[in-house]
Amino acid sequence: MNTPCDQLPGASGTIWLAACFPALGFEVGQSAAPSATDGPAVLAEDGRVLQANAAARQAGIKAGITLAAAHSLVAELACWQRDAAAERQRLGQLGLAGYRYSSRVSLAWPTADRRFKRRARAAPAPMLPAAVLLEARGSLRLFGQGQADAAALAALLGKVAARFRGLGHRPQLAAAATPLAALALARTGLEGLPGNAEAALRQVPLACLDLSAQQLERLANMGLRRLGQVLALPAAELGSRFQPSLVDYLHRLTGRKADPRPHIEPPERFRASAQLLLAAVDSGTLLLPMRRLAEQLARWLAARRLGTSLLIWELRPLAGPGTVLPVRFAAPTADAAAFLDLSRLRLESAPDLGEVASIALRTGPATAMPLPPAAGLWERLPGEAAPAVPGAVALVDLLAARLGGEAIHTLALQADHRPEHAWAHRPPRTLQSATHPTGAAHPTDAAPSKGAALPSSAGEFAMQTQRLSALACSRPLWLLPTPLPVAERQAAAFEFLAGPERIETGWWDAADLRQRRDYFVVATPGQAHWWIFRDCRPRHGDEAHRTLWHLHGYFA
Amino acid sequence: MAAVEHLLRAQAGAGPGLWRAREFARRASRGIATGYAALDAALYERGWPRGGLAELLCDAHGIGELRLLTPALAALSQQGDGWIAWVDPPFVPYAPALQAAGVDPAKVLLVRTKSRSEQLWALEQALGHGTCCAVLGWPGEANFAALRRLLLAARQGGAWGSLFRPASAAGQASAAELRLRLIAKPNNCLQVAIVKRRGDWPAAAIDLCLAP
Repeated sequence: MNTPCDQLPGASGTIWLAACFPALGFEVGQSAAPSATDGPAVLAEDGRVLQANAAARQAGIKAGITLAAAHSLVAELACWQRDAAAERQRLGQLGLAGYRYSSRVSLAWPTADRRFKRRARAAPAPMLPAAVLLEARGSLRLFGQGQADAAALAALLGKVAARFRGLGHRPQLAAAATPLAALALARTGLEGLPGNAEAALRQVPLACLDLSAQQLERLANMGLRRLGQVLALPAAELGSRFQPSLVDYLHRLTGRKADPRPHIEPPERFRASAQLLLAAVDSGTLLLPMRRLAEQLARWLAARRLGTSLLIWELRPLAGPGTVLPVRFAAPTADAAAFLDLSRLRLESAPDLGEVASIALRTGPATAMPLPPAAGLWERLPGEAAPAVPGAVALVDLLAARLGGEAIHTLALQADHRPEHAWAHRPPRTLQSATHPTGAAHPTDAAPSKGAALPSSAGEFAMQTQRLSALACSRPLWLLPTPLPVAERQAAAFEFLAGPERIETGWWDAADLRQRRDYFVVATPGQAHWWIFRDCRPRHGDEAHRTLWHLHGYFA
Repeated sequence: MAAVEHLLRAQAGAGPGLWRAREFARRASRGIATGYAALDAALYERGWPRGGLAELLCDAHGIGELRLLTPALAALSQQGDGWIAWVDPPFVPYAPALQAAGVDPAKVLLVRTKSRSEQLWALEQALGHGTCCAVLGWPGEANFAALRRLLLAARQGGAWGSLFRPASAAGQASAAELRLRLIAKPNNCLQVAIVKRRGDWPAAAIDLCLAP
């Protein structure tokens, strides 16, 4: 059997396909701030040029020079700051895109330390590009469509390259028997196929391997430039001169040692749909298939100990776009009955649905459900959050499903002495049990705009109550959202009980929010207690008619 | 009537058989203490009804209508596990004042509705859900059937419902088991007239001195 198949290393062995992205940093930067120029551009990190494009290299810009030097070489230099986190994220997306072609996909992020050393004598080695590795053996039959393996592999290479190019990247691809060999070939830019990989590998410059700058320098000092030269050396001597990790690396590269890699797993998503035999027009008919889908979702979540706080129902007619009904929960849930109850309410408040032919259900991001609290084995520590009152969030969900999420709030104090800013709305999440009230359960729940939320842990609650009771007689239980003007004539009939209390500030806010007010507690002729203030801001000519007295609250 | 009196006297000390509802009421004390001894003494269950409705009839704001409730609300928020729901309050419940009165603002659940039917629905849900210890509502006009539904929900959820209604509603029939008329008095005082209560006749007005 003298087919090209025989040329592939071990007809049953793995074939690894590496796609590296030398210009990933540029591509990520460009997608963040698109500019269509092909002019000189550099990628910078810590004030130094990390990578330069062709136009910039032509102008004499090299990796490693300072940005100031680069700008002096080329006046209109486009410069992107490197964003490693964004690059990693993009590489993850590319890995998922590659998942279409193989079930074993892993990401290769350069590990070798290649940071520029100020006093390095040799020219710094180029930055190693990140890569996506795919195991191709398992996919050859699917994508080769009956061709011999070598032709099938070439076809697969073409498809993968086209896919990555379609996503706006310029990959370099290569295939070899081991992941590291494929990676080295891809970085070199040699379109190696496993047949001639052996010969191609010997020509790979050492700078394309995952070696540290120090190792590279020592190898260069020994007169070694290519991988073939290093592989020819006896492994034991190499191991004693360098660290054993170098020999280990070479063994993994040549396939003498196994090189297991973590494979990416696409995030799990729940999607299910139900077709209705007869198009339904009323919500009652829809509930039965919705119950089945909700139960299916609950089982799916329970098996993974996940919960979700967003359900998305899509009700589709036979033709045309469907209606999307999102159902939100205050906390992750995995309960079919809760899903169905709120979905029913949501369905009732939905606009006219028309004829529904199919129903689809998907979820927002699923999060891990907290374990049920261990009962009674250990006492809760002082700093630990009190257990949430069971079912308290269900009421919030229930009300929000019909009234809308913006209709439900809890209250919180804010550290501000202006009456309007001393309190704030908060979205209700969980209700902590009363024995240990704590505000630390939601560190993410910090005050959004004005001032910081006051903490209210058990001890502090009492302290704050004490501190505020000093003010109690001067703060009303009802506050008017906007102060009401009080006629001068009416104010004359008031009996002044307390005051004035000057509240003044707001120089940091817009001019119309600035206040200078004298607050009084007054008793009206009807024996109601009001909180009124006199506006003490200086009047200007056109404001001479401005009302002096305002009602701001009731001591209810 | 005289015969009843005679029977009562005859069986005095001879065990159960016939008794006055008033005496029966004296034994029960499972209510939520109002914080005002004079008011507690006048109420069946010795306080606000747990799992029941109280109606507060007043027209003016700022006469102490909330301060009548805050001692009980403070006790609930510090002992009990549950929301204190406010459905459509006419103004903003001011968090610093609530905290000063001992009511934890984080337990206050503020609900705003857009229509009367939504409001009654929200009240019913909050009362019947079992996770609210107190529910305050401002339903304005409400017919007997609606109040009866709310009462049943409160019974089911074990919540103390307080409905604020205009004084003109005093003449209408109501399912609430406790109805109080609030009358402003000078010097931080509030007069509470009991329009209806369980286990006894309407009582003469009680003068309460409110906390400042």
